[in-house]
Amino acid sequence: MIKKILNNNTLRMITALTVVGIFSGAVLVLVHNYTVPKIEANKTKETETAIKEIFPSAAKIAETVYPGVFKITGHGGTPGGYAFIAAGNGYQGEIKMIVGVDAEMTTMLGMQVLESQETPGLGAEIVGSAFRDQFKGLSLAQPITYIKNQKPEKPGQIEAITGATISSKAVVNTLNKRIEQIRKKVKDK
Amino acid sequence: MDYTKTIQELILILIAASITNNFVLTYFLGICPFIGVSNKVESSIGLGIATTFVMTLAATVTWLIYHYVLVPYNLVFLQYVTFIIVIASLVQFVEMFIRKVSPPLYKALGIFLPLITTNCAILGLTLFMVLRNYTFLESIVFGLGAGVGFTLALVVMAGIREELEFADVPEPLKGAGITLILAGMLALAFMGFGGIISG
Amino acid sequence: MLKDFLKGLWRENPVFVQVLGMCPTLAVTTKAVFGASMGMATTFVVVSSSIVISLIRRFIPEQVRIPMFTVIIATFVTAADYFLKANFYQISKALGPYVPLIVVNCLILGRAEAFASKNGVFRSFLDALGMGLGFTCALVVLGAIREVLGAGTVFGYRVMWDGFSNWIVMILPAGAFLTLGLLVGVFNMVDKKISVEKK
Repeated sequence: MIKKILNNNTLRMITALTVVGIFSGAVLVLVHNYTVPKIEANKTKETETAIKEIFPSAAKIAETVYPGVFKITGHGGTPGGYAFIAAGNGYQGEIKMIVGVDAEMTTMLGMQVLESQETPGLGAEIVGSAFRDQFKGLSLAQPITYIKNQKPEKPGQIEAITGATISSKAVVNTLNKRIEQIRKKVKDK
Repeated sequence: MDYTKTIQELILILIAASITNNFVLTYFLGICPFIGVSNKVESSIGLGIATTFVMTLAATVTWLIYHYVLVPYNLVFLQYVTFIIVIASLVQFVEMFIRKVSPPLYKALGIFLPLITTNCAILGLTLFMVLRNYTFLESIVFGLGAGVGFTLALVVMAGIREELEFADVPEPLKGAGITLILAGMLALAFMGFGGIISG
Repeated sequence: MLKDFLKGLWRENPVFVQVLGMCPTLAVTTKAVFGASMGMATTFVVVSSSIVISLIRRFIPEQVRIPMFTVIIATFVTAADYFLKANFYQISKALGPYVPLIVVNCLILGRAEAFASKNGVFRSFLDALGMGLGFTCALVVLGAIREVLGAGTVFGYRVMWDGFSNWIVMILPAGAFLTLGLLVGVFNMVDKKISVEKK
């Protein structure tokens, strides 16, 4: 019987492919089961680290009823606020950020980039602190705007990265859109 | 639905994939055929067209499989295996189809088809498509744009290399070396297009 | 025996001599550490797939060998990808879609086809290890050069003087092509010198 299978060419081809397919599937199921909890933990940890970076004195971080929106309680009466994930399309793919705002949503407290595929050396500078620090204490009384090649002159304005206007613009647009959304949600509550 | 906005976005994807984010010159995808085949303009056009065709098809088919099979049945970890099988069978299928329907076309493109399976640009395309959450329509346009961009880079390179036969290239740089350096200059030149979609 | 291992490091170096596996070589070498991790991931895949293919080489029917190789390779690539995501999250994020693209790295399929499917397990292991390490070395060299000139650091340690202004072009795609092109040239020059001296 086995000899017959080995001699028949078509059958042999199909058997070989099936065996490899089963082997591959089995290996991957094992790998998947072993790694996925770790990967999830990595993601959660990353989000938490990013939030702590924005709210260094946070005593409690709790996800609210809305997924991806966290309520921050300050340490010993220091003011807390909200942290939330904002994601939008950049120059070369999705940019995913963690944004921190104060409880009244009038001032931005900081921003951390979780994921981006921008051009190394140019757009990727949105991850750098020189760009990100501009968002610390930025007024949210009006939508955020950007300006090219000069220091910001109005409240709520940041300077775009030289040579990476598209990435800078993508960050600003994503933030404006998401902040508006969160404002509505928080108000509705 | 805001149609003008959708169309605008599709055009943007097309231009980005073919020119400003050219697959070969910014993502380094499809370098092997780029270095191997780009000797003659004519064969470059042939390979380019065949690749564009497979890319558009691959984007369409893998999108459907990813969103209607892999995601609903929680099989995303089989993504790479599935995609590469889909691409390989697609190439095989296209080869058989062209051979039946149009023998002259098969004669012109046939020799390039086996080269396409191992072209990283195709697998790269399907991976980027998933990564960027493109819709069905966007994926098709993305595949088309990437193919056009690949063809463009290949043909331009072939044009330069045909001229290069008359140039005095330093001995150690002959072949791959000079091609890579030329590609670097082309990549710089293509960066100049970066501004056109900033508006 | 030793020859099987050593040839990948210099004589048949996959990057500098065979110019194979270009996509990851060029794409991820903006920093030396990314080059090293990509090199190690590739080495893992080429070694394990070579071992498996060599083990089952008698049972692989001729006509379907390429799809079978590809499935085996894709399986190990997926495993490597998930492993990196679980244990080296930051690096895996930086390498992005170029880890799955190891599947179509012609270097791996090339070893399967040219060596592992014809030779015993131990020799295939040595051959794959040599090729993988040769690939890794090339990536680290390329990454280190680009990192030094583009960011003033090597493996994250500052090595350039304070007033050094970074050559951004080195981290851009164009810089990758130019550096590799010149490196291939230098490699050929040194190689030639060695073979002349031997005579």
